[in-house]
Amino acid sequence: MTTTNGTHLQTVRELYDFIQSRLYFNRPDLRLNGTAYNSSLLLNLLTAVLGGKSLIIGEPGLGKTTAAEYVGALFYRLPVGTLWASEVAGHPEQTEEKIIGRPDLGKLNQGQEEVVWSNFVQLPVKIVDEINRLPETKQSMILDGVDRGKWEYLNEIIINDEYCLFATANYQDRGTNTIIAPLLDRFDVTVESRYPGPSYAFLISQRQEKEKLLRHPELEGELQAALRSRLLPEERRTRLAAISEAFGAFLGESFGLTTLDGQGRQELRRQVLSMPLNQDGNAFTRTLLAELSFCHRHGQKRSNEICDEGCHYTGYLCHRLLNCASNRLPVSVTNYSKALAWFAGADSVSLEEIRAVAPYCLAHRAQWTEAHLSLRQQDRRNDPFHVYLARQAINEVYQRYSEQADHVKEALGRAYRIFQGEGLEPVAGDHPIYAEIRKDLNLEE
Amino acid sequence: MINPFEDFKDFQTEARALPLDRLAPAHDEAMAALTSGYTKLVEQEVKSLVWFVEHNRVIEAYTVACEVIRGLDYDGQHIEEFCYQLESGTAMPYLISGPAGIYISALCNHVPEDDMVLRLRHMQRQMHFLGYRLPHGKTLRIEGDTGNFTGAALNGGQLIVAGSSGDWAGAGMTEGKITIVKNCGRNTGEWMQGGEIWVGGRIHGLGRSVSGRIYQAGDPVTGRER
Amino acid sequence: MSTEDGEERQVPAEQAAALRRTLERVWPLVRRRHLFPELPSPRLGSSTSRVAMEIREKQITLNLDYAAEISRLIPAETVLTALLDHAVSHYTCCPWDLTTHLRLYARAKDILGDADQARKATDLFMDVVANTHAVKERQSPLPSLYRHAPRDHADEILCCLFENIWGMDLGAKDHRAEVRRLSAIPYLDKRRWPASLTRFIRGIRPLLEDAQAEAAQDQSGMGGHGFRQYRAEEIEQALREFAKEVDSPQKFVEIFEDIQNDLQASGHCDLEGMGYGKGCPVDANWLYYMKLAENYALPVKKIPMRDSGNLHPHSHRPWEIGQPVREVDPWSSFGKYLPGITQIWERREGEIFGVKEKTPDCLIIIDSSGSMVDPRARLSHAVLGAGCAADAYLRNDARVAVYNFSDAPAGGREHLPFTKSRALLYRVLCRYFGGGTALDLPEITGLVRDTEADIFLITDMQITNLDHTIARLSALHNRVTAVHVGKKPGALRFIKAAKRTPNISVFGVEKPADIPRIVLGSVRSYLAGGKAKKKIVEEPAYWSWTKVPPRRK
Repeated sequence: MTTTNGTHLQTVRELYDFIQSRLYFNRPDLRLNGTAYNSSLLLNLLTAVLGGKSLIIGEPGLGKTTAAEYVGALFYRLPVGTLWASEVAGHPEQTEEKIIGRPDLGKLNQGQEEVVWSNFVQLPVKIVDEINRLPETKQSMILDGVDRGKWEYLNEIIINDEYCLFATANYQDRGTNTIIAPLLDRFDVTVESRYPGPSYAFLISQRQEKEKLLRHPELEGELQAALRSRLLPEERRTRLAAISEAFGAFLGESFGLTTLDGQGRQELRRQVLSMPLNQDGNAFTRTLLAELSFCHRHGQKRSNEICDEGCHYTGYLCHRLLNCASNRLPVSVTNYSKALAWFAGADSVSLEEIRAVAPYCLAHRAQWTEAHLSLRQQDRRNDPFHVYLARQAINEVYQRYSEQADHVKEALGRAYRIFQGEGLEPVAGDHPIYAEIRKDLNLEE
Repeated sequence: MINPFEDFKDFQTEARALPLDRLAPAHDEAMAALTSGYTKLVEQEVKSLVWFVEHNRVIEAYTVACEVIRGLDYDGQHIEEFCYQLESGTAMPYLISGPAGIYISALCNHVPEDDMVLRLRHMQRQMHFLGYRLPHGKTLRIEGDTGNFTGAALNGGQLIVAGSSGDWAGAGMTEGKITIVKNCGRNTGEWMQGGEIWVGGRIHGLGRSVSGRIYQAGDPVTGRER
Repeated sequence: MSTEDGEERQVPAEQAAALRRTLERVWPLVRRRHLFPELPSPRLGSSTSRVAMEIREKQITLNLDYAAEISRLIPAETVLTALLDHAVSHYTCCPWDLTTHLRLYARAKDILGDADQARKATDLFMDVVANTHAVKERQSPLPSLYRHAPRDHADEILCCLFENIWGMDLGAKDHRAEVRRLSAIPYLDKRRWPASLTRFIRGIRPLLEDAQAEAAQDQSGMGGHGFRQYRAEEIEQALREFAKEVDSPQKFVEIFEDIQNDLQASGHCDLEGMGYGKGCPVDANWLYYMKLAENYALPVKKIPMRDSGNLHPHSHRPWEIGQPVREVDPWSSFGKYLPGITQIWERREGEIFGVKEKTPDCLIIIDSSGSMVDPRARLSHAVLGAGCAADAYLRNDARVAVYNFSDAPAGGREHLPFTKSRALLYRVLCRYFGGGTALDLPEITGLVRDTEADIFLITDMQITNLDHTIARLSALHNRVTAVHVGKKPGALRFIKAAKRTPNISVFGVEKPADIPRIVLGSVRSYLAGGKAKKKIVEEPAYWSWTKVPPRRK
């Protein structure tokens, strides 16, 4: 079932409104163009739209997993019970067989190899609970699979057409394995599922029946049977699509919701990713990236190199960071800002969307110096500490950008012409972006 | 190779061009030129190791000052700004009262305007030799106090000091008029050849003048004759 | 600019509603042009004053009467857009934040010496910068507003200045002579604002003096830009940065006292590190050192992790022939010993929380005799170092006591028992006696008897009863850090005695400016690991960014 106007925007907004009003009660904490949204719900929804990877943190019992389940169930038209059955629980004894697949035991005894794939791998919505409790090999295995949508076991491969990952992590946990930096970098966004406040918390206690709203035991049974069946992949895909169509019809009849089929979702993704960035958004992103990875002394930021005091660029972010920003950061920032702009009904992605999204993309990727951490530890804030640090950093870059926006854009415009071969001098300035432009143009500093 | 700046190929700035974009840099250029001239003067003086007030030295310094300012484009605002800039500087070139005053005087004497005001009331230090050799046709009004040798060798111009001056005011002046609204120091009118000095307040001491007239609070006072 | 006749007019409800609708329509466009500043939606409200707007804690409130009045001359959309451009430019360009505002105000105060004149001068300067930025960079219709709005004398001068620097006819009277000095100032170069402000003040000084002499209206037509427009977090941050920038506590105190009323009126001023409560008098001297010390934050002690000592099954890896079958996981291997199927457990030692040592309390003994710097007159590095140490211990949940002494036996001392109150600590640290130098040793040793408190002694070692001091401190079991300035004879005796006593460290500094660094170094090494009563503390963990999981030994 697709919307008649083809843009799907209304569909997704209705899903958001439905979840917010019936399922996931929480305060709005992200303002965009005068409208307030709940960051956890919105970013999880955009993760589903984009096929991204979201790391959801929060205190125990504050709806980290349920937010992902609701979003996954409605966007992908899967009953919540099916998602429960496909979740991977984070504990150290998790095995590849439980996560990805296992040999068909009957056929194994006959000397044949055939893989029985897990629900987790087959379904497009992948939820991992407490991913920080998995050994890093399993974390890496999951993230590798979600990166490419390709899962391998016993030389057999299954490829997902569409997929998204929601991984939760608690703050407080004993004996916790940590998520190491290279794996953290794979996540697009970090969101916090916050304490909703006493009134909403009370409301949640009064609305416990909401847990059952997205259940459908009959279709869940059919889905489970289809997932475990010996059908050929193409046949299984068709069967799953038919069941999810039926669940979509159920949602339409029960709640008046319009949902998207696979084709609709692909079309939606194309629409979202085709959103252009306006020049300010574009230039601001480049300015931000310049500050994150620049090093005047050593050529670029490296984790094993210390930044000296007295460097000319002490006032910029590079002085407070230990690591270099990976190439995944701009991908996350641009994709999510496109999705956010699309969701808000904008024509193009502006600086506002990028500023709104960037802290969530940067929070888990930035490694700050000890001095900076201790200086900011006592600050008054609403966000978790690392999201707060990222937000402050981006605000600083925004200040510097807004003072010289035209100058930066002029520098980039002139750089285009120099790159094309015109004999012009690059625009000079104090910010790392100007030095980076010179490097791009292969000019001596 | 792909041009990474493709998105900005059509960038056109939307910023308005304002007269300020021209006025401020022009001012900075003028100030830089004045500073450069003063630096040259001081370097010249430093060669002689010591700056001291001696007739020939003063003439020489003034000659050098006139040379270094030749061709410079400036006006009265720049001169006033330059005075404050000298005072606030902690590195070279900073204010050395004698050479600075000679330099300022050279600037005032060659500025296009015939009527000029220097508002120096808020300077912490007073410069010497302001109004040196002010020529005929020029009127220079200084708001604030001045140092020693104010209006020395005045050459026909009108110098008004809306404040007090130091010692040796009007020394060696040939013609013209100096008006000092408040008080002035000792040796007023030393070697005065002609012209007038009007002091609204008190004169602490007269110099040995050859000719010319000195007035204190409207009343003529007699200069000691050589 | 002000309403023409200054009388209050009741704006008809219809017109007010229309203006509100227009405001809702123009605000998103203004936000977009100004690159989406984080400001709440502006409001239209009635005001008894004649100014065009008010900004409190980022909330912009436009004067409804003023807007209605000017809308009779030019379209309402233009009026509201211009007013918003002005307000938003203050936020996005000048002054941007309280730190910049304080910096400019302090400079103006240095030049003018009078608080009111300094405020007025700073406001006017910021108006010129903000308006010029809006006109040049943001295509603002401010010129239309200035052309039509009524003006007083100050506004006339500004208008004439704007005509010169914007190159537009605003219908101003001829004040070319007055504005000539103001026209070549690089208003949009932020790095040169202090120097530009100096030149600006020189140019408008006669105007300021006239305004003061006539006791003219105390606000420009656009509204004064007081210190109430900032939020609490901004104020805290700004005071911290300002404390670092000023060259003396007196300057900080002077400026803080000028703005204190504004801060207290908005409820952002109390003793405990700028918490939020009205009506608490703040001593600016203590605040200076409190804010300055915040710039030297030391990390909070982390919970150490250690290996559990037990091996546990961690993950699977493929079994290869020759490896022990004891570790085979039969379930994952599906009961088979087959290459590619059989899985073997890899065991690792887990990590558990180690023992977190309780941070000992701290006694700071600070010398405030005549030979030490008076912390109210000049920056006292001794007080700053002591403050940094105190903060570090407080943040690690320990208590701090202060013994501030001059000639203690003669009564020149103040003692604060162990406390966690930051304000009280700084009050005592900042106390200055200025007399002789002698310690009351029984009193000091009584404070720390039977405790494991660390002791910091900051003095110039010109202590009258130095030998007794050395003997007493040597007899203690507490860790003692003595920091002294210069090479005085007493210092050498202290150093000699300290060599025999393992618990005493003596540091000499050439310059008092090194005291904070030395003190912090000692605190850092004490907090990183030292002998103290062991106590298991359960606290939340947080991610370790570079931590690699332990390998099996």
